Amino acid sequence: MSTQFQRIDDFRWRIPREGGMRVPGLVYATASMIEDIRRDKSPQQVANVAHLPGIVGHSLAMPDVHWGYGFPIGGVAAFDEEQGVLSPGGVGYDINCGVRLLSCDLPVDELRPRLEALSVALYRAVPCGLGRGSRLSLSERELDRVMEQGAAWAVDRGHGEPDDLRRIEEGGRLVGADPGRVSTRARTRGRPQLGSLGSGNHFCELGQVAEIYDEAAAAAFGLRAGTLTLMIHSGSRGLGHQICEDALRRMLEASARYGIALPDRQLCAAPLRSPEAIDYLASMACAVNFAFANRQVMTAFAREALAQELGMSEAELGLRVVYDVCHNIAKWEEHEVEGERRRLCVHRKGATRAFGPGHPQVPEPYREVGQPVLVPGDMGRYSYVLAGTERAMKETFGSSCHGAGRRLSRAKAKRVAQGRPLFRELRERGVFVQADSKRTVAEEIPEAYKDVAEVVDVMDAAGIARKVAKLVPLAVVKG
Amino acid sequence: MSGRGHRPLEHTADLAVELWAPDEASLLVEGARALVELLTDGAELHGSAERPVELEALDPEDRLVRWLGEVLFLASTEGFLVTDAALELAGSSLRGTMRGEPGATARLRSEIKAVTYHDLQLTRGPEGYRARVVFDV
Repeated sequence: MSTQFQRIDDFRWRIPREGGMRVPGLVYATASMIEDIRRDKSPQQVANVAHLPGIVGHSLAMPDVHWGYGFPIGGVAAFDEEQGVLSPGGVGYDINCGVRLLSCDLPVDELRPRLEALSVALYRAVPCGLGRGSRLSLSERELDRVMEQGAAWAVDRGHGEPDDLRRIEEGGRLVGADPGRVSTRARTRGRPQLGSLGSGNHFCELGQVAEIYDEAAAAAFGLRAGTLTLMIHSGSRGLGHQICEDALRRMLEASARYGIALPDRQLCAAPLRSPEAIDYLASMACAVNFAFANRQVMTAFAREALAQELGMSEAELGLRVVYDVCHNIAKWEEHEVEGERRRLCVHRKGATRAFGPGHPQVPEPYREVGQPVLVPGDMGRYSYVLAGTERAMKETFGSSCHGAGRRLSRAKAKRVAQGRPLFRELRERGVFVQADSKRTVAEEIPEAYKDVAEVVDVMDAAGIARKVAKLVPLAVVKG
Repeated sequence: MSGRGHRPLEHTADLAVELWAPDEASLLVEGARALVELLTDGAELHGSAERPVELEALDPEDRLVRWLGEVLFLASTEGFLVTDAALELAGSSLRGTMRGEPGATARLRSEIKAVTYHDLQLTRGPEGYRARVVFDV
């Protein structure tokens, strides 16, 4: 089926209402990106989401939109408190998959001869892939606390500093978590995995601040040109995957009972006020908190290993959290819609919150410049730090893009990578890669991804998120 | 195409497979084999252990997803890798015995997060059953 696109301006495209769509779709992209987007099923997915009851404004797609399951990846949808629904497929299996960025004042030029050793130290310190589970051993009771307290649990246990918590979305703890609602299966999958990266597109990466676009914002974020950064991309591991799976099963039944017509079963949903939705949100918050704790624990492992390798104390290393954002989540937020303040449940699937300047939920040190938005690219090129804007608050429920988006399927990427000395190629580009599986590296080669620069340029030009800094990778740990 | 089998389908971000078999129970077994093949990169396995399985689903499509969910759960938590199964289907439920290699976590090569309902298809044609399933990786 072909979806119609109406050009609004150079960076905005409307998918007009048609059939059972309750609102139009709105896609942020350039004309040439739209040609690519048309080739997969994501336009249909944007239209499918627009069918869900109580959707407000538009079914939104960020410039990194691509074919997911149910919701498109790069999709944002907000639902009315009274009329709206909750769709676990609008969050996805990897609940609170997200990105954390740390910065320090160490100039990369002085560290160059030691980068390879640092990459090995990082690989040893941060469990990744399938072979190596968590270095922690959690009791069932501790798992409850992780799910209730999130990153604060980790800090209490000595993994990191209390100050880290100030620079995490939701302070590293989403309220409303109820571990009593989490299944035994989810606990079984998650308990041995806290403090581990996982595989696929997850990574832990040392980088360098390569370019600054906005001096004031970069200074507020603690980013200085030429200095070392650390980025961690991971989520809630098996705990979140199972919580989503459990919820989908309940929601499939519920959708029929509540008479919600579904263009795709993966979109199954229940009214926000229903017991099913309340139950999901309380268990989803457990996975959200687990993921915040997960990134916090890995931060502590990384700090310890890097400091040791460099022969300095962690205080001398000075790796401080810039920010930690979720890109798979559903949250209650207040937004202004046509001049009226409304409480909405915002689903972001492969999209990042991007609150503008002055918003009370933006940490105090960043309040004048807007919330940091972390947008990783592929492992060979670059990543970006953006800042949320007032316009994002008006148009996208304070949301922005989350990454580059895949261009090649995993199978195609492997064919492209066949027989190539990938590790050497990346090393020649100045990136030391350490990986649990060569296959993961083949599936994740830079060419498998779109150019993230084009994605962030759309957000910047559309006024949704402002470019602050560009980071280039130096050492990458993959699962 | 021969009587039963499976093959990968192109999907940009995730993995999808097509399954076919003469009857629905063998289609489910074929699905398990496809999933385990993806998880292990096609390692040769020895189905030396048995485990009972029983589940209730909403309909045959849901049964396929739940069954594969079961196979994935056992693989990722215990390293029990299903190689075959004798399944009895009634209505939308399933019961039977799985055969597989136990404790084979070391054979896992890739991570699959979940079996999705997205684009799920299960059809019966003149030549038997066909299905399409998308996995989240």
